[in-house]
Amino acid sequence: MKANILSARRTIVVAAAIAIAAAGCSSSSSSSSSSSSSSSTSSTPASTSTASTSAVSTTQCGTKPGVAATGTPIALGAIATNQPGTSFTDIPNMANAYFACVNANGGINGHPIKLYIATEQTNPAQIAADAKQLVQTDKVVGIIGNTSIIECSVDSSYWQKLGYYIIDSGIAPECYSTPNSAAINMGPRYSSDGAVQYALAQHASKIVFDQSNVPGTGYIAAGPAALAKAGNVPIVQLTENVPISDADSVAIKEVDDAGPNGAVILNFTPPEALVILQAAQKLGLEDHVKLWGCSTPCNTDFLAQSLGAKWNNKLFVNAELTPPDVTNTTTMNLYKAILKQYGSAVSGGIGSFSQFGFAEAEIAVHALETITGAYTVASVNAAFKGVTNFNTGMTCQLWTYGSYPLHIPNNEDYTVTPDNGKMVTAQGCTLISSIDPQIAQYRSAAGTAALAPTS
Amino acid sequence: MPSWSDFEPFIVSGLALGGVYALSGVGLVVLYRATGVLYLAFGAVGAMGALTAWSLGQAGAPGWLTWLVCIAVAAAITLAYGVLFGPALAKRDPLVKAVATIGLTLILYGLMDLLWTTSGGEARSLTLPSDNGGFSVGQIQVNWTQVIALGAGVVLTVGTGLFLRFTKLGTAMRAMANDREITATLGVPVRRVEAAAWLGCGVLAGIAGLLLADLVALDATTLTFLVISSLAAVLIARLRSITITFVAAIVIGLLHDLLTPITSLTNYRDMTPFVLAAAALLVMPRSQVMAQSREEA
Repeated sequence: MKANILSARRTIVVAAAIAIAAAGCSSSSSSSSSSSSSSSTSSTPASTSTASTSAVSTTQCGTKPGVAATGTPIALGAIATNQPGTSFTDIPNMANAYFACVNANGGINGHPIKLYIATEQTNPAQIAADAKQLVQTDKVVGIIGNTSIIECSVDSSYWQKLGYYIIDSGIAPECYSTPNSAAINMGPRYSSDGAVQYALAQHASKIVFDQSNVPGTGYIAAGPAALAKAGNVPIVQLTENVPISDADSVAIKEVDDAGPNGAVILNFTPPEALVILQAAQKLGLEDHVKLWGCSTPCNTDFLAQSLGAKWNNKLFVNAELTPPDVTNTTTMNLYKAILKQYGSAVSGGIGSFSQFGFAEAEIAVHALETITGAYTVASVNAAFKGVTNFNTGMTCQLWTYGSYPLHIPNNEDYTVTPDNGKMVTAQGCTLISSIDPQIAQYRSAAGTAALAPTS
Repeated sequence: MPSWSDFEPFIVSGLALGGVYALSGVGLVVLYRATGVLYLAFGAVGAMGALTAWSLGQAGAPGWLTWLVCIAVAAAITLAYGVLFGPALAKRDPLVKAVATIGLTLILYGLMDLLWTTSGGEARSLTLPSDNGGFSVGQIQVNWTQVIALGAGVVLTVGTGLFLRFTKLGTAMRAMANDREITATLGVPVRRVEAAAWLGCGVLAGIAGLLLADLVALDATTLTFLVISSLAAVLIARLRSITITFVAAIVIGLLHDLLTPITSLTNYRDMTPFVLAAAALLVMPRSQVMAQSREEA
């Protein structure tokens, strides 16, 4: 009998060991299939949106207010990461909301836009299959709203081969360094540049730059390293395995490395940044450095609300788009109104992600409206590529695609800081420094820094 | 190599994490000894409780109520699973029993991803009032949550040991660990004893979930898989000794955090539970066989 018990115990010990190994690999084992959805015309108000819109009618989004488009649909596609802990679907979903508004108000010369959204789980084979499905099965004539951890790396050559010019929200280096991708956002590298630049302007004596330990950290770290070197300020580069399971240790190490006159700059998703900042607060470390900084993902009211007043004017976050809470322009109010009326699928409500989707859809609609003939792959992508000095109302600069070997059309940013649960502007539009060699290369190719909007 | 003063702050954070790993490990051992089930959903039910508590807090519920709900949710899910599936799985192979709890883990994990999505950059947190107070030991700042975490690990380990040794229910659980059938023949209400073990384990999962949501992060993925560190401690204890489980958990938490300031090792510190568990599996079978032989002799 005892032998049986021992045997059973051995079996369970081995099983547990296997379970540990399996769990250790869990972050890379997701393999669910992609999905597509047609454009939504739901008029249900988004439950997550709490925007107060200053009497802006969503009929402004189209050329024929109140007249639904009934022509042949113009098929567009998007690929977004959607996996536990990381979801970028709000971006194409917001673009879809904008398209739904356009479709309800005349469409594009009477043609509705149909956006096919494929999701992926950071699986290169799946991402490549998603692209082929959009092109071969869904017959999309343009790609807009892509937001994926590795999609640009995987599909860049495919899009180039087929002549697609993508309008996206970039993450991977290829989103910014190839001829066929132009992003509405700066992405992690240039946003981190902005955060480091702000810290240097505040005379931080040392920079500690900490980011997720994922592929591409070397590429991202190169920008902050160049800025710190040019300012003769020492920089310590750290990486953390995510999800972070020992935030106290991470916060202590960052503060120890930075010193009292140094700055800690974080490049993490909001949940990871929050656990580090809260750990620092619990340990009383928030005042042990000159300032804390963060790249764009921290620019959410969720984070500001969770942190509370202790971080007012202590944390400075790079913001790639116009702060929505304190902006009362027609475009910003239209964004909030569309989000409220058509954005039921946008779970995050007002914030950077939905702003990305809105601005990308604006650009796409603007481009499609310039087409006079048939909506083909050639005509649509020529129109996308031809967008020049377009005012999205969401960025510091006018947005241009252009025939450049690389695209960083958004290279001027804001800095925001928490203010009792809201993010408010700490610094207005500021150009990202050309000390970052990639920025210098883009400005060299594009002629100069892009123009600022006139209104 | 960092100096001793560089390591000092990490001792406190390591002990606090080790304390929570310990109370999780004790829950796993007790349940295994009573039912033969290695409860791999321990982290997921704790996460479910913590996220439910967060939602209640957002709706304006008082803090004390949200903490109770966190524990109650974890306990209810665990008890329901034990009562519904425990009897059917009682005579199955231990491997089947463990894998079944992975099924529960995946269901809860999917449910949490659905109910508390991270799309749009939501960042949630569950903070306890004990975060706001504390004391200093030399240069080291200690907050009360860290003290509670370590204290809970110690108290629950000692308390569970005494419970198993000196109470009728504890004795019944120990008897069932040796032989369920004979224990039943002797008139012990095994279903009721098993239900008590499931409930106790669920309560511990809720407490661990609450503390880890504060100490680590309120995130379904993080909390679900933090059970790995406790599982490593349980493995080192060969699913038997709660004392060894406690010591192993403290060592894992401590060693993990003490590796942080060592630049060359800092990115490998998450391997700590795996390395220690693997080492234990390699080293311990021989000694265990020898002990077993002595026992049989």
